[in-house]
Parts: sequence; C-alpha cells; structure tokens
Amino acid sequence: MDAVESQDECYEKAAAEYGAALARMAAAYEANPDLRRDLLQEIHLALWRSFGKFNGRCSVRTWIYRVAHNVAISHVVRQARGRMNAPAFLSLEEAEAKTSGENVEISTDRRQALAQLFALIQRLEPLDRQVMLAYLEDLDAETIAEITGLTVTNVWTKIHRIKNVLVRQFAGGRHGL
Amino acid sequence: MACNDLPNDLKILWNETGKDGPMFSPEQLRNETQKMQAKRRKGYIVLGVAFSAMVASLAIAFFLFHNTLARIGSILGVVSCGYWVVYLAAERARTAPDPAETNGVRHYRAELERMRDWHRGIGSWRAPILIPPFFLFDLGAAQTFGKAAPWVWLFVWFDVTIFLGVVAIGAPIKHRRTARKYQERIDALENASRG
Repeated sequence: MDAVESQDECYEKAAAEYGAALARMAAAYEANPDLRRDLLQEIHLALWRSFGKFNGRCSVRTWIYRVAHNVAISHVVRQARGRMNAPAFLSLEEAEAKTSGENVEISTDRRQALAQLFALIQRLEPLDRQVMLAYLEDLDAETIAEITGLTVTNVWTKIHRIKNVLVRQFAGGRHGL
Repeated sequence: MACNDLPNDLKILWNETGKDGPMFSPEQLRNETQKMQAKRRKGYIVLGVAFSAMVASLAIAFFLFHNTLARIGSILGVVSCGYWVVYLAAERARTAPDPAETNGVRHYRAELERMRDWHRGIGSWRAPILIPPFFLFDLGAAQTFGKAAPWVWLFVWFDVTIFLGVVAIGAPIKHRRTARKYQERIDALENASRG
C-alpha cells in the first residue's frame, strides 16, 4: 500500500506543478482537439505508471519531460501510420528558410501568434519539436540533451536555429534577443 | 547554461497557455489502465479464437472432403492458421517501447523500427500465407460440388481475383514500400542525432 500511495503522491505533485506544461506539449504535438485530449490523457497515464519505477537517477523534471515527450512521439508515429504520403515534417533548417515572410505582432494579435506558433511546432520533425518545446519551457541545454539523447553541442546548434525561426516569425523578438 | 533569452512577449504568451487543461486523478488513471488492458486482451482473445476455430474447421474438412486439392488446402490451412494462433500469443506478450526507459532518440527509433517491422512482416508474408490454402480448398470444393452447383466456380474465380490481386500481390507491394519509407526515416534520424 505504501508503494501505491507514493506513486499516487508523486503523480499528483507532478500533475499540479507541470500540468500546464503537459497541456502545452499535447497542443504542440496534436492539432485535433479530440485527439489532443486523448494524447494528454495518455501522457498523464504514462506518467502515473512511470512513477512506480522512478528511482531518482535523474531529476523529477527530466523524468517527467522524458516520459511526456516519448508518449507524444509514439502518438505522432501512430497517427502518421496511415499517412505516409502526407507532407513530410520540416527540419529546423527548412523551418528557418520558410519563416521569413509572415511576421506576427504578438502584442496586437496574441491568439494568431499562438496559433502560428503551435502550427509551426506541429510541422517540425519530432526530435526538433522536442528541443523546441523544451527550450520554450526554459530547460537548459544539458537537460534537453539528457531528455532527447542528443549531444549538448547538437542541442545548442538546434537552439540557435530555433531562436532564428522565432525571431523571424514573431516581431516581439526585438524585446529580448 | 540556461536558454532563457526567449523574447519576453513570446515567453509570457507561452507560459499563459495550458493553464485550463484537464486534470486527472490517480483513480481515473488506474481505471483507464485496467480498461486498456482488458480491451487489448479481448482483441487478442477474439482473434485467437477465430483462428483456432479455423484450424478446427479445416481439420474436420480434411476428413469430410475426399478431394486431393481440398485435403492439401485444409492441411496447409491448418498450418497457416496454426501459425497465426502462435504469432498472436507471442504478440500479446510483447509490449510497446516503455516511454520511461529511454531518451527521445532511442524511443523514436524504437517506434519507427516497430512500424517498419510490422509492415515488413504482416504485409509481406504473414497475411499472404493464408491465401494459397484457401484457394486450393476452394478449387477442391469446386471440383467436388461444381457439377451440382456451377456458381461455386464463380465464387472460386472471385476468390482468385480478390485475394491474389489485392492481398497476395497488391498489399505486400504497398507494405514493402511503406517499410522502406520507415527505414528512410530511421536513417534520417540516425544522421540528425549524430548532427
């Protein structure tokens, strides 16, 4: 009974602290609202089950993001199964080349900016999507490397490209970069 | 080193999103796990029973039909349907990659490999091995009953067209092509992760 309580407690704490981040992640991986809700439930389910074997070898944050991203990737692979002839995902390099024309003022049209951001993320290769989402959640490069399995150098290269993409697409870039 | 130089507007916009997302209780998730496991179990049981019934039917048909082609078809049918009973039992024991076990690259590669292997197996030969036995059995049945009921020959030729054309030839070609596309994605992932 103690092990079960501990698993439930860990999950409830994680859901309370990271629930919004997980909802953002589900929205970034799935555009369809019904499938998005299913994905979010799958993520929470996998997270709850995973706390039964969490051994503290990495931080709780890393663990949560790793489980959530992996569940989302499985979802993307499953959804793409019947659509192998659909347009391929974009790499970050291709996204960099594409995002030169449509500049959105975040302050004047927040809803459009958000929709455009999610649309951009949903077109990316799953691995690049992971890096971008982790970057948007303020994770450091070492943590992103641990979650994705990429090298830190590779992560930094991708982050550089992500920043270029975001600056080009969102006029609010002049505030911070 | 933190990646915290996101444009302020974008950062605020991002962090404000998702706060009204649905929440789940451990009890809900526990019930959901049980429902999913029961559904998966039921699927395998239904298929397993269906193939076992076909094994039994074809075994009985071997003794009822004295036609050579029908008997050869029923023996091959017992073997191919029997293979499917064993295959389904093995598949039921296999589980999908555990999202907690590995990092993103390895998990993604494992999922792509799983899909590639599924397309290589099911489309290439696992489904088509069911066709020749039933074709032979149909031919044998047509030879036995064809004089009394000529429509049996129509049924046999319909079987040949649909099964040979679609399942034995068209589907394996499509599945092999899809398997190749998954292999391309695996190769691209390998290159991207070496970056």
